[in-house]
Amino acid sequence: MSLLAGSIVDSKALLQTVGYSLLAGIGVTFIFSIAIFGFARFVEMGRAGRSPSAVAFGGLALFAFAAFAAAIVLGIIVMTSK
Amino acid sequence: MSEADLILAIVVATALAFDFTNGFHDTANVVATSISTRAMPPRIAVTYAAVLNFAGAFISLAVAATVASDVVEANVITPTIVFAGLVGAITWNLVTWYFGLPSSSSHALIGGVVGASFAAGGADAVIGDGILGKVLIPALVAPVVAFIAGGVAILICYRVVGRERPGPVTRGFRLGQVVSGGLLALAHGTNDAQKTMGVIVLALVANGSLEAGSDPPTWVIVSAASAIALGTYSGGWRIIKTMGTRIIKMDAAQGFSAQGAGAAVILASSHFGFPLSTTQVISGGIMGAGAGKRVSAVRWGVAGNIVAAWVLTLPCAAAVGAMAYGITRIFGTGAVGPIVVSAIGLGLTAFAFARRIRQGAPVPA
Repeated sequence: MSLLAGSIVDSKALLQTVGYSLLAGIGVTFIFSIAIFGFARFVEMGRAGRSPSAVAFGGLALFAFAAFAAAIVLGIIVMTSK
Repeated sequence: MSEADLILAIVVATALAFDFTNGFHDTANVVATSISTRAMPPRIAVTYAAVLNFAGAFISLAVAATVASDVVEANVITPTIVFAGLVGAITWNLVTWYFGLPSSSSHALIGGVVGASFAAGGADAVIGDGILGKVLIPALVAPVVAFIAGGVAILICYRVVGRERPGPVTRGFRLGQVVSGGLLALAHGTNDAQKTMGVIVLALVANGSLEAGSDPPTWVIVSAASAIALGTYSGGWRIIKTMGTRIIKMDAAQGFSAQGAGAAVILASSHFGFPLSTTQVISGGIMGAGAGKRVSAVRWGVAGNIVAAWVLTLPCAAAVGAMAYGITRIFGTGAVGPIVVSAIGLGLTAFAFARRIRQGAPVPA
């Protein structure tokens, strides 16, 4: 049965699709959530006058936004590379 | 113009009409979450999706190749079979639009072509392994993956931002939805416009106008991209309402998670050449993002209706495709059959639209 299924379905391509989909679908939301978290804390710390913490959270937000942008660009490259 | 060329012209026009209904029907996939979370005003969301749908159609041809070669035997196919298959797909799209159900245009198209091929050439005309391996199994897997990705993503998201003030978080995710919605529209154009390209290629090959295994000519790509973009711009507001508010009441974070999960699944599938249903994937992502917050947040009755429409799509479109082929053959092998079926189809479509308008179809705010 598994041999039959294997001959009909391109199991490798299907598993890769599942793996990349989960990684990208969950990863992108996680990265963007970190960016929003960092930005919200940056604003909060800045208002409280805690500059070092504000800078650290600002850096985290910037890094996460950059990673999010990179993930989107990678998605477009994946689309165009086929 | 010879009779064969006339039939081919009817087939191409019908394929583009299908592409229009595909865009019209599937606008909801792309914009419903952005509209319901107020990330974008309805008309701007639809225009944005239409432009990116158009651009997406030029990006990849992997799905077009699958539709053109892996589902039915190309040597059995005639332009009339392709025409009948398209009639099956358009009919199913209009029926589900009439009832506001987000069903799969992709499966309607594949079902219609398979039904018409079966009616014309029997079981030998259908590539069972191709349908199972390239269509049915990915169709079962993809919504489940989107459901899991959407559900896990929203859990992680609430974990990360749950203690922050809701105002900035909501504004941030609304901004993120502009990007995730754009990516989704691009992915939708890539996956769905190609199906029409695949069908037109099938008809061109059957007519002897193109070598088997050829890529779609530029005029096919441009016309398919334009038809889906115009359909998307026209907007299927009934289905937008179902997807945007009737499955779950979404917040911006859920909308972003659902769109992110959906775009990831569609992009990965397009890359590997699986012609999956964007409708099923986005619905799976929305249900996952709802269930991740609270299982009872999903209106499972509405979800059940949607799943029932998914199950019925392939057989119903196949049955209408087979019937349309039967009717065309009553008039022989010439152009009269497709002309008569087109006239009947146009009449029924006008009747359905008139009836819907009389009943008061939802319009954008």
